Amino acid sequence: MTRVRLENVTKIYGSVVAADHITFEVESGELFTLLGPSGCGKTTTLRIIAGFEVPEEGKVYFDDEDVTFLKPYLRNTAMVFQNYALWPHMTVYDNVAYGLRIKRKQLGLTEEEIRKRVKWALELVKLEGLENRYPLQLSGGQQQRVALARALVVQPRVLLLDEPLSNLDAKLRIEMREEIKRLQKKLGITTIYVTHDQLEAMSISDRIAIMNKGKLLQYGPPREVYFRPNNLFVADFLGRSNILYGEFLGWDGEYAIVRIPELDMDIRGVATTKDLPRKVAIVVRPEIFRLAEQQPSPKENVMKGVIDLVMFLGDRIEIRLSVSKTDLIVYLPNTLYPTPGQELRIIAPKDNVIVLPAKWE
Amino acid sequence: MTHEQTTVKFRDIYIAGFVTALLYILLMDYIDPVTEALLWVIGIVWAFILFKRGIDYRKIMYSFSLSFLTIISFIYVFFILVLRLTGYPRAVALFFLPLLTLAVLGHIKEKILTYRETRKGIKVKVSLYKRVKTTLYKLDPIMWVFIVVGFAILIVFLIIPVLLMLYHAFEVPPGQPIWYNFWRIFNTRGYVKTTLYPTDRFYIIEQTATGRIIYIIKGINFGILLNSLINAAVVTITATFLGILVAFVLARYNFPGRTVFRILAMIPLFITPFVNAYVIKILFSENGPISIITETLFGWGIRIDSLAGVALAQIMAFYPIVYLNAYSSFINIDPSMEEQAENLGSKGAKLFFTVTLPLALPGIVAGSILVFIFSLEDLGAPIVFQESRLMSYQIYSSFTSETGIVSPEMAALGFVMLFLATMGFLAIRSYVGMRSYAMISRGGRWTLREHRLGWKGKLFVYLVMLPLIIFTAMPQIGVVLLAFNIMPPSGFAINLDKATPQYFLELFQNPDIFVYIRNTLTYALIAVGLATIIAIMIAYSVSRTKMRILTPTMDTLATIPLAIPGLVIALGYFYFYSTFFRGTPLDPTMGPTAFQAWIVLIIAYSIRKLPFVVRSVYAGFQQVHEALEEAALNLGASRSRVIFGVVLPFILTYILSGAIVGFIYISTEVSTSITIGGLRPDQAPMTFAMMMAYKGTTTYGVQIAAAMGVLLILFQLIAVMIITLVFKQRYAFIGV
Repeated sequence: MTRVRLENVTKIYGSVVAADHITFEVESGELFTLLGPSGCGKTTTLRIIAGFEVPEEGKVYFDDEDVTFLKPYLRNTAMVFQNYALWPHMTVYDNVAYGLRIKRKQLGLTEEEIRKRVKWALELVKLEGLENRYPLQLSGGQQQRVALARALVVQPRVLLLDEPLSNLDAKLRIEMREEIKRLQKKLGITTIYVTHDQLEAMSISDRIAIMNKGKLLQYGPPREVYFRPNNLFVADFLGRSNILYGEFLGWDGEYAIVRIPELDMDIRGVATTKDLPRKVAIVVRPEIFRLAEQQPSPKENVMKGVIDLVMFLGDRIEIRLSVSKTDLIVYLPNTLYPTPGQELRIIAPKDNVIVLPAKWE
Repeated sequence: MTHEQTTVKFRDIYIAGFVTALLYILLMDYIDPVTEALLWVIGIVWAFILFKRGIDYRKIMYSFSLSFLTIISFIYVFFILVLRLTGYPRAVALFFLPLLTLAVLGHIKEKILTYRETRKGIKVKVSLYKRVKTTLYKLDPIMWVFIVVGFAILIVFLIIPVLLMLYHAFEVPPGQPIWYNFWRIFNTRGYVKTTLYPTDRFYIIEQTATGRIIYIIKGINFGILLNSLINAAVVTITATFLGILVAFVLARYNFPGRTVFRILAMIPLFITPFVNAYVIKILFSENGPISIITETLFGWGIRIDSLAGVALAQIMAFYPIVYLNAYSSFINIDPSMEEQAENLGSKGAKLFFTVTLPLALPGIVAGSILVFIFSLEDLGAPIVFQESRLMSYQIYSSFTSETGIVSPEMAALGFVMLFLATMGFLAIRSYVGMRSYAMISRGGRWTLREHRLGWKGKLFVYLVMLPLIIFTAMPQIGVVLLAFNIMPPSGFAINLDKATPQYFLELFQNPDIFVYIRNTLTYALIAVGLATIIAIMIAYSVSRTKMRILTPTMDTLATIPLAIPGLVIALGYFYFYSTFFRGTPLDPTMGPTAFQAWIVLIIAYSIRKLPFVVRSVYAGFQQVHEALEEAALNLGASRSRVIFGVVLPFILTYILSGAIVGFIYISTEVSTSITIGGLRPDQAPMTFAMMMAYKGTTTYGVQIAAAMGVLLILFQLIAVMIITLVFKQRYAFIGV
């Protein structure tokens, strides 16, 4: 069981700051996800942890051991690459056994013990019986499992997963992410997971760190970063949101009152900080709206609009509601039958409206 | 497919081979044909049993090194049998026997399996008639013209001449069996000599009249056929080893001066026919710089001559071919493949031999096989070292015989050479093709893996590699020194004060010499024009049609001249023109005044160097997505309008690059130039004149030939610069 700690890690490629003073700590046994758009520095951070890159500044600790300058082959991390990096010239068995054979003397393993452990790993990923196949004879999902088995078999201190599911089709991706989560919990192995898919990140992680342009913007449990983004980028990147700019007017008890010119009304919401600047923005998730009852309280955020567009998505209905000068994204239950042109009054519960400083970083 | 639990390990196949070979060695002195046949049966049956018990034969297919070993062992065993070699070489063949049997059995089984799979997969059967009909309707007239004309040219000027050569190879003296010529090649002592006498020494020590001691390294003569094979094998193996070493260091390590190293390593790629061998001969003569060094250090001189000289010259000239291929293989390996291994604890030599080398092997092998082919057909080194006991020299000298008639035995020898080269080429091509997937990455980052060198590494690079690279660039440096008279044509000295541009000027001022330059330029220009037209037709047909047998055949036919030794083309053309154009000016037997060599040479050039042009043009067509053409067709443009109006202008830089590369390889061509060209000396090109100068049969000296070499280097420099700087393309140095 290993804790991983990064302190002020900075990596610069030429004139690009790929990782900008990254600091976080991963608890032992935790599944920690680095989430962000491509080029945000998440893979660089992972590669620094694996030892493929040496940071210009900062330190990397495994437990309390400083590994910043330790060679990758001495770290005992195991990485699963985006393209799986399976060696086409080795069988599944040889691929999985590779790490054990390399450390054979160090660990004092016999060929029989190696065989047992490979068998164990292949059973974990449900690939028993494919030992003698070559990677090219396997499907994408199977290749993914081999890569996972190869990483797990060495019982690494830290498991590193670099966008492991991005080459799979949608259905398989959901199946595999469940399986990775289950395996990770079962083995209790400290895992750092890199992805650009926010759904994947939220479904799988204990905690998520959101990165953009080399900076770590926010980290916390999925629920927290989803409902309480401290930053417009995070709010926009995680899930879908209506983001509207406005002017901070003052406090109504614990709720902040914001004047939104585009809606031509005042909105009450929860602020992430007590000292809000004058220019703020509100974030409203499309699924938090509910239909307004006959007599709504004047302190509720009631919006009246005309339905512009209706899209049936199966598990829900998405509509565009024209309110004053803007269009809102609103999800409705799939039991309703909204039609374009229909008038609709909806409420955005003030506990679910987030008020943020209007800046993107 | 389900997984079969087996108890048979793959190494059992080696045990089988080892036991069989051991039995042979034990019985070697008393062996009779029956016992030996029994041993062969044991090897085969053993493999068959292992196969039946479920040995993992697919390993041969999927393991890079194992499949390579199988191909090599196949060629080896074939020759051991044909040459009837006994003793230890035969024991080695027996060792390979079970592995080969297993490969064959596995191959057959896989074929049957895939056949069954496809049979199962086929739901609807389409009759041949319907298939032909749809193809007929799908293709436009202009594509038909391209396909038919392209095929016709390849068949008439490539297939028929080679077949004619084969036909003449079976021309035997009355009363002899039809395979007589081949029998002679595989059985007479001139060709295959397996017993050595005490006089057959690898080197001899000689004392000159002045009391100097000189080691003369000559190599051992095993007969023409074996000499050629051994020479090619030694050259290939050494060149491969050197090429991998230099490529790996330059691809993976960063150190001060790396760019300079890379440029120096390219120098041997500049083709300077004959002169490279000549400079090496001087370097390693008893008066050369190497002898001066050894004499001061150890008190004896050294001379490398004959077969050893040929091998040395070829290694130095050809190793960059492997180097280039290996270099691009190394930098094309997906970095995550190596990173994954490092991540799992692998490093250094272990990492190199388990991951890096196996992944780069297909590319490296593609370079090696070219070295093998070039070594087999090379004439430059054998002519300069006057080593006639090689296949290439034998074929060449048959053209210079008084009678003007090439003997059928030479046709048979040419066929053996062709067989060796094309079999190797095709086997390796399918091997490489099967494995090119190794380089396909599925996303992810792609920065090159580079390491700093430690002090040990730096010592190695500057003390071993730098001298080696400079040393291999010597011939090209030497030709410049010779041409400007800084280095005298015999002996060794550097006289900067005697430097003169006189010989270089003479090239253009002396009409007797300038005629060769004019010939080369005119022939190369016309031939390159022809080659470009043919290349466009073939490349377009290959890239835009998917006919089942025709398209791949055309592709292979357009690439295979790369593997056909120039001497085979020369032989084929000799027979072709003396058969179908008998009595006309195109008949080579008409004598040096009536024979119009230039037409024959131009056609030979355009076919021989066609692959270089085709490859570049084909790459151009690959750049144009078919949808681009379909969009134009859809809007009502005709196919010819699309090709000439849209596609060709779009890929003009590719076509011109191909043409320039073609021009370079044509102007430096040797084999047909000095054989066919030698039949009409006044119409011969520069390379012929260069050879005559080095042979010492001209009034002008070696310096003139060196000046021609400098001119050729200049051509090549200009070509490299135009292609890389103006067209922004890669200069296609030789490679598969």
